[in-house]
Amino acid sequence: MRHFLTPFLMSLTVGTAYAGPVENAAILDEIIRPGFAQLTNQTTALATVASHTCAPQSKELRDAYGTAFDAWIELSHFRFGPTEAENRAFALSFWPDPRNAIPRTLNALITAQDPSVQSPDEFSENSIAARGFYALEFLLYDDAFLAIEDRGYVCSLIQAITADMAVISGEISQDWDNRYAVLMLNPSNATYPDEDSVTRELYKALGVGLELLTEARLARPLGTFERPRPARAEARRSERSVRHIEISLTALRALAAQLSAPDAELSQRSADAFDRAIDLAQRVDDPDFSEIRDPAQRIKVEALQQAVQRIRTEIYPDLGALLDVSAGFNALDGD
Amino acid sequence: MTRFLMAASALALSTAAAHATDKTDVLNNYADIAQAGYEDSLTTAVALREAVQALVASPSDETLEAARNAWLAARAPYQQTEVFRFGNAIVDDWEGKVNAWPLDEGLIDYVDQSYGGPSDENELAALNVIATPSFELSGASIDASAITPEFLAETLHEADGVEANVATGYHAIEFLLWGQDLNGHDAGAGERAATDYAAGDDCTGGNCDRRGEYLTAATDLLISDLEWMVSQWGDHGEARMTLLGDETAGLTAMLTGMGSLSYGEQAGERMRLGLLLNDPEEEHDCFSDNTHNSHYYDGLGVQNVYLGSYTRVDGSTITGASLVDLVAESDAALSAELAGKLEVTMSALGALKAAADGGFAYDQMLERGNAEGEALIMGGVNGLIDQTSSIERAVAALGLNGIAFEGSDSLDAPEAVFQ
Repeated sequence: MRHFLTPFLMSLTVGTAYAGPVENAAILDEIIRPGFAQLTNQTTALATVASHTCAPQSKELRDAYGTAFDAWIELSHFRFGPTEAENRAFALSFWPDPRNAIPRTLNALITAQDPSVQSPDEFSENSIAARGFYALEFLLYDDAFLAIEDRGYVCSLIQAITADMAVISGEISQDWDNRYAVLMLNPSNATYPDEDSVTRELYKALGVGLELLTEARLARPLGTFERPRPARAEARRSERSVRHIEISLTALRALAAQLSAPDAELSQRSADAFDRAIDLAQRVDDPDFSEIRDPAQRIKVEALQQAVQRIRTEIYPDLGALLDVSAGFNALDGD
Repeated sequence: MTRFLMAASALALSTAAAHATDKTDVLNNYADIAQAGYEDSLTTAVALREAVQALVASPSDETLEAARNAWLAARAPYQQTEVFRFGNAIVDDWEGKVNAWPLDEGLIDYVDQSYGGPSDENELAALNVIATPSFELSGASIDASAITPEFLAETLHEADGVEANVATGYHAIEFLLWGQDLNGHDAGAGERAATDYAAGDDCTGGNCDRRGEYLTAATDLLISDLEWMVSQWGDHGEARMTLLGDETAGLTAMLTGMGSLSYGEQAGERMRLGLLLNDPEEEHDCFSDNTHNSHYYDGLGVQNVYLGSYTRVDGSTITGASLVDLVAESDAALSAELAGKLEVTMSALGALKAAADGGFAYDQMLERGNAEGEALIMGGVNGLIDQTSSIERAVAALGLNGIAFEGSDSLDAPEAVFQ
């Protein structure tokens, strides 16, 4: 993946003075950079725990996993720059996986007793289906993987995955501090030719988060009334599906608050709309959507989806008008 | 590549002319290119049907190879039309019938045991309808005794609401002509034998008559679907009328198609994801090993739209008023930058195509640790990502940001293209 970094490095032209809206700098300094520093701390702690206890049912290990996953979900919509370079976000979080690549790839490694678990460099060459939070979830929570009798290799695999996650998180954080913050705060370079392009990037991140919520985190388990799909819920094995929605909404609320700061009226409407959605998420007492077939549960989730959809249709475009940017293209475009 | 360079230079020269570019002319030329692209897709599909009829009537290595070659020839013009998908709702709503991917091919025919059975996502993933004249779906009994175009389109396609149940279109036909590619990361495509279509005791794979019936029905359906799309781009067709009905929305549709295909679809879903998964099944034309051409002609379609030029299957050319001229009137440097980036992408996709044509299979490029293959694929990905940022700026340069708030297209409503 080395060459993927090249265009970014070549475009490193450091400006002299920051001239953009104050909100952009605040988003970097108060949300993004401390967020990735926190993620680095949590994934490092997870790898440390795994290095001395790799029993999947260990409370200490599962707690460390949950804390680190929380930190990632808060940041999962920042899919540009340091997370895209060297495909780091893909390696941390490959989801959804409609073709079952994760269990298939993990099984292939286990069956072959693949030696890449002994070397961080070699492990980082593996398929993204065998790396990151969602692969680890299978090893810690999936019945079929828990039933594997030869624990020795699975233990090495858990240690290799957690160590890899700590490395990737550290790389993202360092890349923000050493390279990317400079590009965004001095927008006169090939990546960000002007302030608007920086604002557009941050605005797009909000859109990506909202789209992930409605089209993936909510729409996948909801399916249709006749055919709900609880097995498609995100992180259902660890019963974190609804938790992720609430964490994401809270993080997006903070991002929207920064972006809308110049307009008090819009800022208030945004806060109210997010508060309503967060309240509805807290009312869903079905953490993995396993009861989505029950109409009483379904109606609560549909109300939540409508509340998020209203943020997309009523708040998001107004915010674009305020900032004078369009949503542009994102990685979710397409099929 | 010479041809594209010449086209780009010629258009660059015309940019210098003093007269302003008429937006209606740009839109009409775009519609003309779309119409010609679908016409070429149709004529090559008709040739495919003739070859399929010959295969089913007298199965042999020769008739099978002729049918495969006809399929490959039909892909080149069709892939160049993919750029019309994302901006034009009428195309996007229809596209799933002809080019849906990826597919759980076990729905259609026999598969290797390594394929697995029904999954969490898809209960019908291993149905094998060719061997199954009747089956249960959500408690109801489904009669599959006659495999007709209607049955494929209305019952089997996306059965159970699962998108991977692809029963129609190019990739279903591709599977019936090649079969599964079981070579893993080694070179080589699917190796279906011609005797899969043989009569009586010579039949391999079982149910050869139903397999022939399926292949014929799917090819007939492809033709009727393409005929419909050709007519939509005719003088009074709905696609053309919608496009011309609102200049701003029409220009946005053009740029939306370019950007969405470049970034989320081609660079992301089709190229980078396969590489990151190291999965030889994650290639767009996986049965035929034609993925390098699929990527190349997709990229060429994006360039065609910007330069307002399309070279038809018969070698003739359609050219006219173009985006490259229109954007140049607002920002000459940006227009040249975007044209240059499209050229860089085509050069990278050309290198990928040349390597694959030279024997370095796309399957091999996807293998873990294959640095040379990764570099070839990422060359295309990086070019596509880079051109997308310039396309976004072209949207702004043409003053198209405002239409975001009319909610009329997928640039501003990503959910419209997500579905």
